[in-house]
Amino acid sequence: MTSAANSMGATQSDSAGPILSVGNLRAYFRTNHFGIHRTVRAVDGISFDVGRGEIYGLAGESSSGKTTLVRTIAGAIKPPLEVVGGTAEFSFLPGYDGLYRAPAAEVARIRWRHLSYIMQGSMNVLNPVRRLRKSFVDFARPHMAGTERKFERAVIDHLARVNLDASVLAAYPHELSGGMRQRVTIALATICRPDFIIADEPTTALDVIVQKDVLGMIRGIQREIGSSVLFVTHDMGVHAHLTDRLGIMYAGRLIEEATTAEIFRAPLHPYTRHLIASLPRIGNDAPRKGLEGTPPNLADPPPGCRFHPRCPLAMEVCSRSVPTMIGTAPGHRVACFAVNGSEEP
Amino acid sequence: MLAILRDLLRYNLEFRIGIVLVGFVLVLSMLSGFSPYPPQDVYVVPPDVPPSLSYWLGTTSRGQDVFWQLTFAIRNTLLFGCTVALISRALALVIGLLSGYKGGWIDRVLMSINDTFIVIPLLPVLVLFYFVMRDSMSWLMLALIMACLGWAYDARLIRSVAMSLKTREFTQSSVFSGMSTREILVQEHLPYVMPIVFSTTMNNMIWSIGLEVTLAVLGFTDINTPTIGGMIYWANQHTAMVAGVWWWIAFPTIAVVITFIGLFLLAVSMNEYIDPRSRLSRIGPVTS
Amino acid sequence: MSGYLAYIAKRLLQFVLVVFIGINLAYVITHATPIDPVEQSISAVTSYGNTAPGAIEQMRISLRELYGLEGSALQQYVVFWKRILRADFGPSMSAFPTPVSTLIARALPWTTGLLVVSTIVTWVLGNWLGGLAGYYQKNRGLKLLGVIAMGLHPIPYYILALLLLIVFGFLWPVLPISGGSTMNLPQAWTWAFAASVVQHAILPALSLILIGVGSWFLGMRSLVSNVVTEDYVIYAELAGVKSRRILSSYVMRNALVPQVTGLAISLGGIFNGAVITEKVFGYPGIGSLLVDAVYAGDYGLVLGVTTISILGVSIGVLVIDFLYPLLDPRVKVS
Repeated sequence: MTSAANSMGATQSDSAGPILSVGNLRAYFRTNHFGIHRTVRAVDGISFDVGRGEIYGLAGESSSGKTTLVRTIAGAIKPPLEVVGGTAEFSFLPGYDGLYRAPAAEVARIRWRHLSYIMQGSMNVLNPVRRLRKSFVDFARPHMAGTERKFERAVIDHLARVNLDASVLAAYPHELSGGMRQRVTIALATICRPDFIIADEPTTALDVIVQKDVLGMIRGIQREIGSSVLFVTHDMGVHAHLTDRLGIMYAGRLIEEATTAEIFRAPLHPYTRHLIASLPRIGNDAPRKGLEGTPPNLADPPPGCRFHPRCPLAMEVCSRSVPTMIGTAPGHRVACFAVNGSEEP
Repeated sequence: MLAILRDLLRYNLEFRIGIVLVGFVLVLSMLSGFSPYPPQDVYVVPPDVPPSLSYWLGTTSRGQDVFWQLTFAIRNTLLFGCTVALISRALALVIGLLSGYKGGWIDRVLMSINDTFIVIPLLPVLVLFYFVMRDSMSWLMLALIMACLGWAYDARLIRSVAMSLKTREFTQSSVFSGMSTREILVQEHLPYVMPIVFSTTMNNMIWSIGLEVTLAVLGFTDINTPTIGGMIYWANQHTAMVAGVWWWIAFPTIAVVITFIGLFLLAVSMNEYIDPRSRLSRIGPVTS
Repeated sequence: MSGYLAYIAKRLLQFVLVVFIGINLAYVITHATPIDPVEQSISAVTSYGNTAPGAIEQMRISLRELYGLEGSALQQYVVFWKRILRADFGPSMSAFPTPVSTLIARALPWTTGLLVVSTIVTWVLGNWLGGLAGYYQKNRGLKLLGVIAMGLHPIPYYILALLLLIVFGFLWPVLPISGGSTMNLPQAWTWAFAASVVQHAILPALSLILIGVGSWFLGMRSLVSNVVTEDYVIYAELAGVKSRRILSSYVMRNALVPQVTGLAISLGGIFNGAVITEKVFGYPGIGSLLVDAVYAGDYGLVLGVTTISILGVSIGVLVIDFLYPLLDPRVKVS
C-alpha cells in the first residue's frame, strides 16, 4: 500500500494510520407522515478502516444499506436521515467525528480536493440544462489554481485519459451515451487528484464491455494518483476484478471482512458462503439454490443477528444477541456465533 | 376512499380547516330551505337597513334580507359548481383514460384538440354565447357550456396517470385475459385515478364558480336566479358602495372567499396525500 | 438543428389549429343558435327609443348584409372567413360608423401593455420567491409568504380589484382609479404622457400581480422541493459547489422549465382576469371594449374582440413555445 508522491497527489502524513476510520456508525431514517412514525435502521453499528492507497469494496444485496453508509461517510445527511451515533473520521479532517459534525467551512475545504464521489446511476447525475463544461467549472475550478487556459488544458488532458474527446465539453448530458456519461463522472471525480474516492455502483447501468473499460480506467487512475477508493457494488465479479479488501454488508451491518482473495477462497459467514457459492463458475453446472426468505424490513428488523431467520446454521443465541466482528485470522473478521462460538447472552 | 378521508381528517391540518370552511358554506346553503321569503321577491322588507338583530346581515336596496338571499345565492352557486364539475369530470375521464391508454394517433388527435381548449381564452367565448342567447341562457345551460369547454386541463392529468398505468403488469394480465378496453379502463384503472379526480374536482369548482361570478357581476348571466355574482351585480346596479350599503357586497364576497379557500385547502391536502413520497412513508409497521 | 426545426413546425401547426378551431367556434356560436344576432342588435339599439320603423327596416337589411347573414350556410361561411382574413369586422353599431377594427386597434395597445408587463412581473417575482421558499424551507419570512400566497391565490380577480378600488379610491386616494391616462392629455411620446400612463396602470397591474404571484409561488415552491432531491443536485452538493450556485444554476434553472409550460397554459386565464380588471378600473383596453359592446348590443364588436383575443392569446403561446427550447435543451431529442 504505497502512496504515490506527486505534486498534487495523495498527501502523506506523519502517521501511517488509516485514511478513513469508521467506528460504530449508526444512521437512521426517521419519518412521521399522517401519524405514522417509522424508524428505518439503515446503518446500525458499522466499524471498519480503509488504508492509504487501497481499494476497499463493500458488497451486499440492494437494501443492505450500502448507499446510505457511504452517503453518511461523505456527509450527505439530510432529513429524514440522521446520524444517531458513532464516527467516520478522515485523516485529512482530524478532530471531528465525521463530515456530518464538522463546520461547513472545513467541509467545503476538503470536498472534491480531498474527498470525491462517483455516484450511482449515470442517468441523472449531471445538470441536464447545462453543458458539461459548466460541471467541470463548478466542481473542479475552485480547487485548481492558474489561468482559465491552463484549466481548460488540464481538463482536456484528463478527459483523454478516459478516452473522451474535448468535444464532450460542449455537449449536454442527454447527448451522450451511458458509458460516456460514466466516464465523464470518473474524470470529474479524479481531476483534482483526491486522497479518497467513494464510488457507488459506478458500473451497474453499463453493459459488460463498457464495464470492463470503466473498471480499468478506475484502477489505472487510482494507481497513478494513489488515492484510496471505497467501492460499493452488489456485483461480486466486479469486486473480484478490482478490490484489495472486501467488506460484506447485510441489513445495515457488516458481517465479514477480509482480503478479496480470502473472501473468495474461504468465506466463513453463512451469508458470504452463499454469495460465493451462487456465483456462476465455468465448468460447474450444479444447480444453484436460492436463500429462503427475503431481506429483512429495516423498519422492523429481527432481533439479534439480522440474518438468523434465513440462516441454515441458526442457533438459539442468534435470535437474542447481536454477534460482534471478531478476528479469526490476521486481516479476517467475521460476525457470527456459529463461526466464532457463542458467548453467553 | 373512506379510509383516505379518515386519515386526512385525523392528521392533516389543512384538510380539517378546509372541511370546516366548506361545511360552513354547505350548512349556509341548506338553510335556504327555511327562508321565509321566496328568493325572487323584492321589497319584502324595509330596504337599506344595516346589520342588526332583526336583520342579521342587513337588507338590500331592493328590499331583500341579505342573509336569506345569501343562503339562496350560495346554494345556487354551489349547485352550479357541482354540476359543471360532474359533467366535466365525465368528459375529462373518458378523454384522458382513452387517450392515455390507447396512445398512437388517437392520443395525438385528442391531445391536439385538448391543447386547443386549454389555450383558448374562455371568457370572450362565454361572453359571445351570452350575447347571442341573452335571456334564454339559464344557469343550467351555462353550466353545460362551461363543462364542455373546461375539461381540457384535467384530461391531461388523467391521461398521464393512464399512461403510467398502461405499462404496469396488471394491465398486461388484463389484456391477456381478454378484457375489453372499456372493462380495463373502468375496473382496473379507475380506482387509481380517483384521488386525482377528487383533487381536480375541487380546482374545477373554484374555476367554474370564479368564472360564473365574473360573468354574473358583469350581468352576463340569468340575473334573476340569485347567485353570489348576481347579488354583487345588483349591488352595483344600485351603486351600493357609494350609497354606503357595504353589507350588500361584503357578505357575498366573504362567503365566496370562504368557499374558495375551503375548496383550495381540500385540493392541496388531497394532493399532498397522493404524492408518492409521502405514501411510501406511510407503509410499514408503526414504531414509536 | 433539424430537431429544433421539427419542433418549431409542430408548434406552428398547433397554432394554426388553435386559431382555426377557435374562430370556427365563434362562427358556430353566432350562426348556429336560434337567436338572431341582428334582431338582438336592433332590439338593443331601439331600446333607446325614438326610432322610425323605416329606419329599423333599413338597419335590418344593412346589418344582415354587413354580418354576412345572406345566402346559404356555405356562402355565409365563406364570407365570414374572407372577412376575418382581411380583419374586417364591419362597422361598430355603438360607435357608428367607426369600423370595429379601428376601435380594436385603439384599445389593443393598452391591454397588451398591461398584460405583458404584469404577466412578466408576476411570473418572475412569483417563481423567484417560490424558489427561495422551496430551497430555504426553514426560513420564517418565506414560510409566512407562503401562507399569504395560499390565502391570496383562491380570491377571484374581481374581488381583489374591487378591494383595491375601495382602498385607493375612497380610503387613500393617491392613485387614479380609472382611465388609461389623464384626460385631455395629448397622446404623444412625451414624459408627461408616459408618466400618466404608468400611474394609471399601477392599480390594474397590482390587482393582476397580487393574485397571479400566489399561484406561481406555490407551484415553484413545490417544484423546487422536488428538484432538490434529484441526483444532480445531490451530486453538486457532494462536490462542494457553493450553495448559491446550486440554487441558481442547478435548482431554479431546472424547476423553471415546467413553469414556462405553465405560463403558456395560463395565458388564457390571465386574459380573463384582465377583462374584468379593465372593467373595474375603466381601463381602455379590449376587455372594457368587450363588456361595453355587449351592453350596447354591438354584434360586430363582440365578434371582433373575441376573435382578436383568441388570436392574441394563441400568438402569446406560440412565442413562449418558440422560447422553450432555449431553456430546455432536451426538447430537440424527443
